[in-house]
Amino acid sequence: MKKPFDILGKLFIVFLIVLWLAPLIWLVITSLKSENTVMSDTLSLVFTPTLENYRKAFASTLLGRWMLNSLTVAVVTTILTVLIDSAMAYVLARIPFRGRKALFIFILAGMMIPFEVLIIQLYLEFTTLGLANTLAAVILPRLALPIGVFILTQFFRSIPLVLEEAAFIDGASRFTVFRTIILPLSKSAVFAVAIIAFINAWNDFLWPLVAISSSEKYTITVGIANFQGTHGTEYSLIMAGALLASVPQIIMYLLFRKNIVKSIAMTGIKE
Amino acid sequence: MLLHGADHKKRDILFFSLPYLTVYVAFMVFPVVYGFYLSFFDWNILSTKVFVGLKNYVEAFSDPEFLSSFFHTIQFVVISTPLIIVVGFIMALIAVRPTKTGRISETVFFLPYMLSTSVVGTLWAWIFQKNYGLANQLLKSVGLSPLGWLTDPSIAMTSIIIATLWWTAGFNMILFSAGMKQIPEEIYDAAKIDGAGSFTTLTKITIPLLRDTSLLVLVLQIIASFKVFGQVYVMTGGGPYGTTRVLVQYVYKTGFSYFRLGYASAMSILLFMVILLVSVIQFLRKPDETQ
Repeated sequence: MKKPFDILGKLFIVFLIVLWLAPLIWLVITSLKSENTVMSDTLSLVFTPTLENYRKAFASTLLGRWMLNSLTVAVVTTILTVLIDSAMAYVLARIPFRGRKALFIFILAGMMIPFEVLIIQLYLEFTTLGLANTLAAVILPRLALPIGVFILTQFFRSIPLVLEEAAFIDGASRFTVFRTIILPLSKSAVFAVAIIAFINAWNDFLWPLVAISSSEKYTITVGIANFQGTHGTEYSLIMAGALLASVPQIIMYLLFRKNIVKSIAMTGIKE
Repeated sequence: MLLHGADHKKRDILFFSLPYLTVYVAFMVFPVVYGFYLSFFDWNILSTKVFVGLKNYVEAFSDPEFLSSFFHTIQFVVISTPLIIVVGFIMALIAVRPTKTGRISETVFFLPYMLSTSVVGTLWAWIFQKNYGLANQLLKSVGLSPLGWLTDPSIAMTSIIIATLWWTAGFNMILFSAGMKQIPEEIYDAAKIDGAGSFTTLTKITIPLLRDTSLLVLVLQIIASFKVFGQVYVMTGGGPYGTTRVLVQYVYKTGFSYFRLGYASAMSILLFMVILLVSVIQFLRKPDETQ
């Protein structure tokens, strides 16, 4: 026999799930309505769905371009972050030298630097470098990911030394060992860092907003934020754009949900 | 010793660490130092820098716009932090169970966190839209009068907090449920044998044993809340009448609309100090006796 408390608890869970899904359902519904239906028949769930807003989002806005920009930024950032951070982690985990501990602390201290307080200085720096208003400016400050170095260093340390020693005896260089032994054995940690780097890069908002000034170079986040200004009351178009802007993350989430959750739990990073 | 290629050690250290150290120093360490430096100058991009000592810092504390932005940020931190943590904790209690409901809940509760700030902001600006938005439509359908969710100065901040809660509670859920999974099953079994109910188990076992996780969640949440910007920028732009303008946004405005770079840097540094102070709390905690 079920206790009344159990039923109440179940109802509460269902309520919470519905509450959390409702905004997303509302987003999808709005994006499938025609501009007129949105205004005249806002709440109704019975309507003739149209893909017109999606067509329009691609045809009459720069959305396709912004998504391409974001994809470029996210992919390049992810690849370079993994390469640069894992190389650094290799030194910290495997090459002993005087001052290594201090270097490790120096790098971990970076976790305490909030990106938000650097925007003025970074803007001036990139202007001086002649890189303002380029995608490179969006990418470069994201490559040093201290939490990524931390995760990779910890992981590399857990790999038994035996394999490397055998390779060194055979005359392998550190680079070969790193490429053929360490990295292949660290797939899970590398993947976790790649996920964090990709999500950070795709969702980054404040810095691209500052760094990019011409609309054809916007990343999708900046483009969507500006949608409201340029398409004021075309809510169904705006929602179609917002949904399209989220497609890569939603696909990633569906494919790698477990890994994403695990890397979040592992790092406790937060943007 | 030839074993670790000792002859090339220096070269290898440089080869492996130089790329990281270059981007790290150039785009994280240097900007911090440069920010400190700039904060002592009066400088709008066109004029020459004039050293003014602590004047920018003094000015901040008598600048009503800075003080109000600071106040709104504190307001946001104080209200949103406990709310997001408690909801995240409740979510974790649901999601941690190895049932189908548990898995579905986890998937749904975390999903919003995958979306970007601007998507979340845009979506909630639409939900809170005065005439056609979901919130007011629902109010009207049950006979209540619509609210100015984003236009009424007394509730605009609440609306932003609601959107943020929806967006980020799932993040805390993940941290909490990771902590819960580390509590040994035997403790719960023993409690059950002793006849402890679910409420007693929660207050006597789960919550006390999550002390470390809770501290981590608290610190991360406070820091994240202090850095709030995107959703405010998109949903209200700081309005109505500046009632939701937060620190990062005022720094942004001072730097890129007023071009007062020294002053904006000084305010950045103040925000940095606050965040640093919160981060330090985590390191000051009592070391865990079991370790």
